[in-house]
Amino acid sequence: MTTSHTYEILLALGILAPMISFWVLVLFGRYLRKPGAGWFAVLLGMGVPLVLATVVLIGWSGEDAAARAALTENAYRFHWANLGAVPVTIGVKLDSLTVAMFFMVAIVSFLIFFFSIGYMSGHSDEVDGKSLYSRFFAYLSLFGFSMLGLVVSSSLLFLFICWELVGLCSYLLIGFYFDRAYASAAGIKAFITNRVGDFGFIVGLMLVFFQLGTLDLDQAAATFAGQHAAFLADPTSAAAGIFADPFTLFGWSLATIMGIGLFCGAMGKSAQFPLHVWLPDAMAGPTPVSALIHAATMVAAGVYLVARVFRLMTPEALMFIAVIGCLTLTLMALVAIVQVDIKKCLAYSTLSQLGYMIFGMGCGAWIAALFHLTTHAFFKAMLFLCSGQVIEGCHHEQDMRKMGGLYKKMPVTCWTFFIGVLAISGAGIAGTGIGLGGFFSKDEILAVAYTRAYGWEYEKHQESAGHDSHALGAPRSKTEVRLVAFQDSDQAGHRPDQTHDGQRVEPAGNEDQVQRDRQPILEDGKEPLHAGAIRLLQHPEEHGAGTAAIFRGIPPLPKWLFWLAVFTAYVTPFYMMRAWWMTFMGKPRDEHVYKHAHEIWLMYVPLIALSVGTVFSGYLLFRPLISDGAAAATAAATVLATDGHMHTEAINAAHGWLFWGVGFAFLVGFAIAFAIYRKGLETADKIRRGAGILYVILERKYFFDEVYNFVWVKGCILVAKISRLIDTYVVDLLFDLAAFTIRRLADFSGWVLDNHGVDGVFNGVAKTSQDFAGVVRSPQTGRIRNYLLFAAAVATVVLICVLLAGWESVSSVARAAETTIP
Amino acid sequence: MLTIGLTHYLLVAAVLFCSGIFTMMTKRNAIGILIGVELVLNSAGVNLVAFDRYLGPGRVDGQIMALFVIVLAAAEAALAVGICINLYKNLATVDVDTAATLRG
Repeated sequence: MTTSHTYEILLALGILAPMISFWVLVLFGRYLRKPGAGWFAVLLGMGVPLVLATVVLIGWSGEDAAARAALTENAYRFHWANLGAVPVTIGVKLDSLTVAMFFMVAIVSFLIFFFSIGYMSGHSDEVDGKSLYSRFFAYLSLFGFSMLGLVVSSSLLFLFICWELVGLCSYLLIGFYFDRAYASAAGIKAFITNRVGDFGFIVGLMLVFFQLGTLDLDQAAATFAGQHAAFLADPTSAAAGIFADPFTLFGWSLATIMGIGLFCGAMGKSAQFPLHVWLPDAMAGPTPVSALIHAATMVAAGVYLVARVFRLMTPEALMFIAVIGCLTLTLMALVAIVQVDIKKCLAYSTLSQLGYMIFGMGCGAWIAALFHLTTHAFFKAMLFLCSGQVIEGCHHEQDMRKMGGLYKKMPVTCWTFFIGVLAISGAGIAGTGIGLGGFFSKDEILAVAYTRAYGWEYEKHQESAGHDSHALGAPRSKTEVRLVAFQDSDQAGHRPDQTHDGQRVEPAGNEDQVQRDRQPILEDGKEPLHAGAIRLLQHPEEHGAGTAAIFRGIPPLPKWLFWLAVFTAYVTPFYMMRAWWMTFMGKPRDEHVYKHAHEIWLMYVPLIALSVGTVFSGYLLFRPLISDGAAAATAAATVLATDGHMHTEAINAAHGWLFWGVGFAFLVGFAIAFAIYRKGLETADKIRRGAGILYVILERKYFFDEVYNFVWVKGCILVAKISRLIDTYVVDLLFDLAAFTIRRLADFSGWVLDNHGVDGVFNGVAKTSQDFAGVVRSPQTGRIRNYLLFAAAVATVVLICVLLAGWESVSSVARAAETTIP
Repeated sequence: MLTIGLTHYLLVAAVLFCSGIFTMMTKRNAIGILIGVELVLNSAGVNLVAFDRYLGPGRVDGQIMALFVIVLAAAEAALAVGICINLYKNLATVDVDTAATLRG
């Protein structure tokens, strides 16, 4: 069994290395000279994980499906502690997705670390006697650790820990130039915005913990699927768990709320509308940090989380995700058009692309979204590093209006940037299978969205019995929601043999068999949704002409979401081409910037490596792994559309005009950008003046910052002020009143009772004693004469008294004595 | 003819006693006071002998008491003179009014 844990051990070592690097740099960083700390972080902090990731990737590629399943199944789980009765385990989630993500994060991070050495070389390495240089690489290492840990975690708890560490690192790195107020503020903004999302994440985690009774990803998904099956069998059964809970909020069932809660975390980290505001501000950090955050780590974490908890999502939750993603991708792409800061422009493009990924997840395009994530990681990292090169070369000038014509001074940067532009625009030749990463991934997302929006007709009808008729997440609904696919029987008939890039699909019968074998049969002979739907799709004749029930219980995607995504596919190439042209082409607009522009090898070597990755690794390397991981990672998921088979279907369905329409969108966008910016900025200025209020709205980013500033920041201050008023005039008043009363009481008891009561008694006794003593004392003159006189006087008085009482009695005594004495 | 009786002796003793008391009360000198004390003691001695002679003839009780008084007076004189010397040592005087430290 030792060999079967090799991959896990390698991955665990892979996350250990950046941790060690972090501690060494934190504790002994100051003893490493200026480039030393950087090289240490590059080689140990990310080089070691990269080597291990490569070994794992090669080894994993060599395993067949059965071996992979066995490895996933037998992965070691360290029993860490018990939370109540729930055991908390920590382990490596070993599947294709983890391997692919780990490698992607490692290689992109490695190149960014490498780039950082060049970028940071121009920075002063000490502020107030503290070594900022080694600190920067220490933070980077911790960032690498958190992200890799997040990727490999098998437990939502450990994932959450790493999640928070990523948030912390982003705060530290965005606010790295802490002596600049805006950088510090941007760090705080990023952190606080993420806290908002994390609140939802924690709510989701708590629901998982209490309703599903575990924090392990696989166990949670299994429990969730089991509860769903139990709910379908009997909505009132105790085993239905979370589905039987009558609680609803805004019409969402508890299961949906759990999914949305988990997604809230992703909204924060992946900067989705309306929590996107931190990401453009995060440009205040050093450019490698921007690349790291925007490409390989932080924002990827959100999409990765959604991919991981996909099995816990209900259709309603996915619809929510799709709407949020679609709003993000459209709104942010429009803002990117008017940005003049090169990094801000890229930041908004990142937001838009993240929106695509989230939108894809929401559509059920699990594969396409992750595929887009990996391709985006490469080209966006490259674009950011290019911008870093430009900014460093132009002496920290970020305004594109002052650039122009830089292709002569920075040829490598110029053309790698251009590759990135092509990739993000989805450049490729439709129908031939030739294209850059974004071409396939984005179009696949759109194809799935199209299928969800148009491919299936949607009909409702009442059905009184129907034990399997309840829509997931809509408990006790009597309405069966049935989706009917492909009314056009001709289209349905020849579909399975048709592919977009000439790949041949297995005959329907075989595939059906495969599907049946792979899907478990549940109790009482009922097949899960998934397998039944596939069979229905492939044998429509069993269920009436051209009618196949698929996506049972899943509402179709609103059509406007799809059209917004298509629209944005035209916007993206426009603003990217605009940025590239303004920066590198045309005539130099600022002599000073142009004169100093230069590039250095330390910085463009990673660019070349990333551009190679952009061109080749996307489809060749990651796509097969992600497709392979999809079946296992979404098994028993509540949405059919995640299956690889589904993707083929979707692409086929969208094969016609969509592919041509979107496939060449990049040319349209490029053409418009070229037309406007070919001769400098005059045309653009004219358009800007013509646009009027529209331009202002975009330029001010829909006034999100202003509104948030007004509502939240000012609101907080207002609440604080009101609280202060209450404190001053109500609470303090009560306290003052109480204090006054008590003081008066004390005065009374002190003055009246104590001084005149108790003290009076004591003083009275004392005074009496004193007075008496004075009387008694007066005869005590100390003069013997007086004493004698006194004694004599007393004796005299006594004698006189005796004499007056009667001499007889005295003399009788004397006589008696006489007589008795002989 | 006047017969000397008990009464006469008692009168002499009373005169002695009063003289002694008077002396003690009027003298400020400690030695003078001591002399007054001796007078008082001797008046008591006279009384004792007189009573012995007239009230209990043939008996010697009173005489023995008188002897006691004489011995006691000697002891008392020794003691008192010692006190006087100490008084002088401490206050450089034998004026008893000066030695009024026990005044209340």
